[in-house]
Amino acid sequence: MDTLEVFVLSEALDLADGDQELFLTLANLFMQESPKDVAAARAALVLQDCDGLAAAAHKLKGSVLPMCAPRLFERAQRLEMLGRQGDCAEAASVCADVERCLAEVHAALRDLIAGGFPS
Amino acid sequence: MVATILLVEDEPVTRMSMVARLKRLGHRVLEAGNGREALEVVGRERPDLIIVDWMMPEMDGPTFCETVRRDPTMKSVYILLMTSHDQPAQIAEGLARGADDFLSKAASKQEIMARVLAGLRTGRLVRELETTGAQLESSMLLLQTKQREMEADLQSAAAFVHSLLPPPGSPAPGLSLAWEYQPALTLGGDLFGVAAIDAEHLGLYILDASGHGVAAALRSASLMTFLRVENILQLIGSYDPAKVLREVNRQFPLSAEGEYFTLWVGQIHLPTRSLSYASAGHHGILLSPAERPSRWLTRPSSPLGFDQAAVFAGDQITLQPADRLFLLSDGIYEAPSPTGEPWGRWRFQQAVEAQQHVPLAATIAHCFTEARRWQAQRDFLDDAAVVGLELSV
Repeated sequence: MDTLEVFVLSEALDLADGDQELFLTLANLFMQESPKDVAAARAALVLQDCDGLAAAAHKLKGSVLPMCAPRLFERAQRLEMLGRQGDCAEAASVCADVERCLAEVHAALRDLIAGGFPS
Repeated sequence: MVATILLVEDEPVTRMSMVARLKRLGHRVLEAGNGREALEVVGRERPDLIIVDWMMPEMDGPTFCETVRRDPTMKSVYILLMTSHDQPAQIAEGLARGADDFLSKAASKQEIMARVLAGLRTGRLVRELETTGAQLESSMLLLQTKQREMEADLQSAAAFVHSLLPPPGSPAPGLSLAWEYQPALTLGGDLFGVAAIDAEHLGLYILDASGHGVAAALRSASLMTFLRVENILQLIGSYDPAKVLREVNRQFPLSAEGEYFTLWVGQIHLPTRSLSYASAGHHGILLSPAERPSRWLTRPSSPLGFDQAAVFAGDQITLQPADRLFLLSDGIYEAPSPTGEPWGRWRFQQAVEAQQHVPLAATIAHCFTEARRWQAQRDFLDDAAVVGLELSV
């Protein structure tokens, strides 16, 4: 059972210094940019390019930080580590996990954008 | 104070987040997507502080730090390396390659503010130090230039004073003259003169100005000019030593700073070899006869300038063929040994007597050698002068 949360809004807002508008801008940018990083990781896996995999996972991990999505962050970190270790075989399943976690975060962010911040 | 901060980060979400947070602190924020872009911005904008991500395409953070540190104009800019790493080995590598501090991508607002303000303050202090250092260097260069100019002036003045000293050789028939002179500084304050007064008389003197340095040397040069034979004859009508001292005593009173002269003046009547002399506080005159013990030609007397009405007693002796007369400054017989004991007039006397039968110039050179050996160094603390006059056999 995964104990890590998908998305922690209070911490994310803290990292945006409490600025909701800034957070929404960052969230939109994240939803726009993060699929590119996952696609880059996938492409690297196909080419067995472990360095490329590590770089793509690192970039994704950086973009997750302001979103405060611990589960996705942990998977991206693991994917980056496998890339650095040259373990592309193991990385394939972790990459799938990353895609699943990313979809969870996107869904949570879409809900937030649509529903607004809880009062 | 609004600072210019350059943020170097390839990942757009983190970059936008950090830019917004820095702007909210009131700073002007420039952006670059990798190290190469950042170098262009650095060259153009000269930021006060740089925040750079560790991992980036094209040029990573540590390489960027190294490159910036090689630029002499930017080597003191404060650099924060931004990373999610917190392992000691990576922190050490970042610092070793030119970063000043680290900033976590997940840092709180307070931490960002604290690290940025600390970085800006440090950068400002370093720049102030550099400016102060540059000003000091500039002042040092100016001082060195002035010192060279002053040294050249002193050399020129010393050459002039040296030209006033009597040429070694034969100042009058039946007499030979030799001397050695080593001023403690470029320009000396102990001077001497030997000059014909007329066909039958030779005048000689040695003076010592109290104090050291340029002021003493200038006062000595002034007295030396005053003691020129033409001037003395015009003022008092003769070169009678006691009268010369009385006139000098009137003309050169104690200075406002309490400086004064000691002076010994002599006059030789050549046909009779009669030496008349008088001293104003100068004790450095030694008569060294060929076959008899040497003796000092001095009596207790006051230096010049203390009493305007002072009268200086004159003495008279008859010199014999082969007699040697030495005029010496206190700088030679007061030369201290490493333990502080002066060489002393009696050691000078011994040195002269031991060298009675060698040429006059060699005797004087021997005295200098012995004095230097005594003080265990070549240069003298005070002006050292020995003037020798020898009568023909």
